[in-house]
Amino acid sequence: MALPFRPGYSVPDKARIPPILAYTIRRTLILIASLFIAAVVLFVLLRLLPGDPANALLGVGATEQQIAAARAQVGSDQPLYVQFAAFIGNLARLDLGTSFVSRASVLTEIGNRMAVTLPLTLFGFVLAVLLALPLGILAAVRSDKWYGTAISVVSQLGIAIPVFWVGILLVTLFAINLRWLPSGGFPLRGWRNFGEAATGMILPSLTIGLVMGASLLRYVRAATLDVLGSDYLRTARALGASFPEALVRHGLRNGSVPVISILGIELASTFLGAVVIERVFSLPGLGSMLLLAIQQRDYPNVQGVLFVSTLLVLIIGFAADIAQRFIDPRLRGRVSAAA
Amino acid sequence: MSTTIASAPARPPRSLILWAGLILVGLHVATGLLSLVWLPYEPTGMVGMRLEGPSLVHWIGTDRLGRDLFTQLMIGSRIALVVGIGAVAIGAAIGVTLGILAAFASKWLDDALAATLDILIAFPTLLIAMLVVAASDTASLWSAIVALGIALSAIVARLTRILAKRVLVMDYITAARTSGSSWPKIVAIHILPNIWPTLSVNFALQFGLAVIAEASLSYLGLGAPPPNASWGRMLQEAQGTVYTAPLGAIAPGLALVSLAIGVNLLADGLRDSIDPTRRAR
Amino acid sequence: MTTKTILLAATLLAGVALPAAAFAQDFNPDATIRIGSLYEPQNLDNTAGAGQGINEAFNGNVYEALFQLTDAGSVEPKLVESYEASEDGLTYTFTLKAGVTFHSGEPLTAADVKYSIERVTAEQSKSSRKRSLSTITGIETPDDRTLVITLSARSISLPYNLSYVWVVNDAATDITAAEDGTGPYSLAEWRRGSALALERFDGYWGEPASNGEVIYTYFTDATALNNALLTNAVDIITSVQSPDSLAQFSGNPAFTVTEGASTTKELLAYNDRVAPFDNVQVRKALARATDKARLLNSIWGDYGTLIGSFVPPTDPWYVDLTGVDAYDVDSAKALLAEAGYADGFEFTLDTPDYDPHPIVAQFLQAEYAKIGVTVNINVITANEWYTKIYQERNFEATLQEHVNHRDIVFYGNPDFYWGYNNPEVVKLIADAEAAGSEAEQVEKLTQANRIIADDAAGNWLYLYPQIVVSAANVTGYPVNGLNSQFFAYDIEKAE
Repeated sequence: MALPFRPGYSVPDKARIPPILAYTIRRTLILIASLFIAAVVLFVLLRLLPGDPANALLGVGATEQQIAAARAQVGSDQPLYVQFAAFIGNLARLDLGTSFVSRASVLTEIGNRMAVTLPLTLFGFVLAVLLALPLGILAAVRSDKWYGTAISVVSQLGIAIPVFWVGILLVTLFAINLRWLPSGGFPLRGWRNFGEAATGMILPSLTIGLVMGASLLRYVRAATLDVLGSDYLRTARALGASFPEALVRHGLRNGSVPVISILGIELASTFLGAVVIERVFSLPGLGSMLLLAIQQRDYPNVQGVLFVSTLLVLIIGFAADIAQRFIDPRLRGRVSAAA
Repeated sequence: MSTTIASAPARPPRSLILWAGLILVGLHVATGLLSLVWLPYEPTGMVGMRLEGPSLVHWIGTDRLGRDLFTQLMIGSRIALVVGIGAVAIGAAIGVTLGILAAFASKWLDDALAATLDILIAFPTLLIAMLVVAASDTASLWSAIVALGIALSAIVARLTRILAKRVLVMDYITAARTSGSSWPKIVAIHILPNIWPTLSVNFALQFGLAVIAEASLSYLGLGAPPPNASWGRMLQEAQGTVYTAPLGAIAPGLALVSLAIGVNLLADGLRDSIDPTRRAR
Repeated sequence: MTTKTILLAATLLAGVALPAAAFAQDFNPDATIRIGSLYEPQNLDNTAGAGQGINEAFNGNVYEALFQLTDAGSVEPKLVESYEASEDGLTYTFTLKAGVTFHSGEPLTAADVKYSIERVTAEQSKSSRKRSLSTITGIETPDDRTLVITLSARSISLPYNLSYVWVVNDAATDITAAEDGTGPYSLAEWRRGSALALERFDGYWGEPASNGEVIYTYFTDATALNNALLTNAVDIITSVQSPDSLAQFSGNPAFTVTEGASTTKELLAYNDRVAPFDNVQVRKALARATDKARLLNSIWGDYGTLIGSFVPPTDPWYVDLTGVDAYDVDSAKALLAEAGYADGFEFTLDTPDYDPHPIVAQFLQAEYAKIGVTVNINVITANEWYTKIYQERNFEATLQEHVNHRDIVFYGNPDFYWGYNNPEVVKLIADAEAAGSEAEQVEKLTQANRIIADDAAGNWLYLYPQIVVSAANVTGYPVNGLNSQFFAYDIEKAE
């Protein structure tokens, strides 16, 4: 499903200002509107979670007065619109409050967790791209050879295996049997202990890279096959360009448009989906923070993680869209082939 | 058609992919149906010793409580099918409705819906399901299915919207509109039949997604609660004994992977049979 | 008024194997000891719902109390030089040790101790010892080294209960994220979700620690924890959670496996307030329908111990009660019929979502089906357990592991979550607390123990084994881990 990472409505063809600028302005407005929508969704979602958040603050045998005081503290005694206004105001100031359970600043904690999740996602992403691009193109160009078919088959396998299974497998092989790499964990002193932090990132990043690479590979292969069958490549060849030259000159540019939008989605969902990987490798990342916060009904933490990750997702989407426009200015409201 | 340019991609015959998918999925469907009428042992019966290895009596051994693993594996097929079909049905019901609404809606509503879907789609199925499970009071197999369905609905809605919009600009729709056909009629007669083939392929892919996501939910302790012998639950329970009794983790894992590959192959095969000019992706 | 000095109760544990003391090899006095654990604290304050992990990391290491419950089970003076009780047992006068300073450099005073006790008994405190200390009616500090506590009733366990009370500097501010204690270590760093480091405190008043630094590394699943020890990422696992992981360590000379005395009990707790669990025959029927030997084998293989009540063999009031309501399906059916449930009944079992509870719940479901009782398993998080069951008592039956030592006293509290209310037991337990001698206390509690077993007040499924595994070059760690404590200061690491 090569879906573009942007709304699929059409932009009038007669735009006079430089299209890329007009698009950027428009896209920025959408970004802000999306952020607002996300905040509303978040607000509603948090009200749906069962239980009064005030309970989380209290111990056994709390008195009525204590419950009332706790409600006042978390604001759950206010009318909904007041709560909503306060909620938006706090988000706008990036004031994410303090955790009910640890009593620590949510924003600081998110910062600490980012030091794990961001590098993990990026390493995994880079690995996935390094794996998917050459192999995907190879699988398409050499789809008549056994190895072209083999790559396709293995990539099928890659998307059918649960991530945690791949992780456990890699741990068993590289950590337990071969003793090459640590089985998990992140050093207490974080990146100040660079060697340990970096080696600890290898297996989890590899896990992400393999699983994400497999699904990415399928898109790259499909996009390459589309390019191979296209008229402009045929024309270029007819005009005397060698096959590799034609592929690089015309194919890469055209083929990369749908791939970039997929990259955006994959990057965002890897970032958010790191929760399973973090669990397998005992990493103190954003995902494990969210999982724990959900289990403990630690609302400020749930809200903070969701808000910051939504922000990141939107920014990634924004960047992917702008990048697409730069690569292919002809792209307007065109919807690329779906499914 | 590209055969004249690139070195002729002699691809495996389409029907082979379709057949492979059909056989794998068929195997699980058959097992799931069989489990309704016959099982080697009673599913919760503690019929053997702790962690028995494979034998003639217990084909793939027993779990910690001495329950027969093969019996659980068979029930797992049924549960996986229920999870997959249930989640896709819920996702389709919500997603197709939303997608068509968006396609018909005024520009601003459409923009807003499209932007929301764009955000939601970047949230992994698993994460949304996690939140929905957390929001439901008591965990059950159904809460997991509903959670997965809701999570999938964003993908369906987005795809439906794009496909429907593409159909909406066709001449015959304009003709139908001017001739006074009502919208429900247009949707039922023109739009749904047109977008159905592409959607159904997508549903097959999502079926696989749902089954894998259920396993991940179970791994995180948010999946179907006991005594549902879902493969995810089996995997989770076998985790602690993976070195002493590896089969307990390998068997449900293989079952899961074979079903996921099966539906993916089926989807690929179906797509090719719908649109023979397209290549398998 | 005449006073007499009370001898400290020393309940020594019998038959506890300590790891082979110091090798011939020299140990490194500045070594880093890496301890792997499954119990990360939620915050750093044991009166603010921090969980059992904070006791493991901080008790005796960072914070000290007036008394200390040693790993062998005896209560010994820690920050107390000497103390006296009045004849009627209602006034205790404590003299504090001299020369004790907090990590911040401030000297320990009686005012700090007063503040610390009041922290535990305060209204907003979530401490599990709040109720035990409720007999305290007044605390006075005539001078910096003297503390006088007055009680409303005799309390033979006062020193024991005070061993739970961290002595905190009364000037310390943020106790949930920082510390100011008197222990041999100070907090160096805490990375939430990952690890917590303690470093040796140079100004410690007592014997300095045998190692330079201790890092508690936290894991969310037992498999990952085992892998960490196997790959030398940690030195010690504080409590092994399954027999299958032991297969990798026992018989391997690179590791030492030690089985200590456990106090952790797996309990099927009924809500004795609601039908049909208010009927003693129903409770007895369920007890007789539970093949505990098979259950223990399913969960723990050849490890663990069967118990017939809530008392582990190491408590002085232990008696072997495994014969009461022994496994007998036929008599279970007969009892149910007598109670008017010949066709069985149905109940919901609230099951915490972590090991071993879900598997235990499935076992019980299969067992009770044999006597016509239908069990509906409802999986809940630890947090929901606390709210739904511990606070609101909104349940029929639940599973829980009870880790503490001496917790039979909870059966003397009719207001406790399980709602067991037998006036005879309430009186016996109150009398035991007000006892003038240890012999009297033991006698009363033994009687109470027999009664709760006869009443099948709960279904005591088994006693967990307490197993510590370490790398072979590490010695001197506690093996019993009573009340989840894990004293790190004697641990030596040979290099």
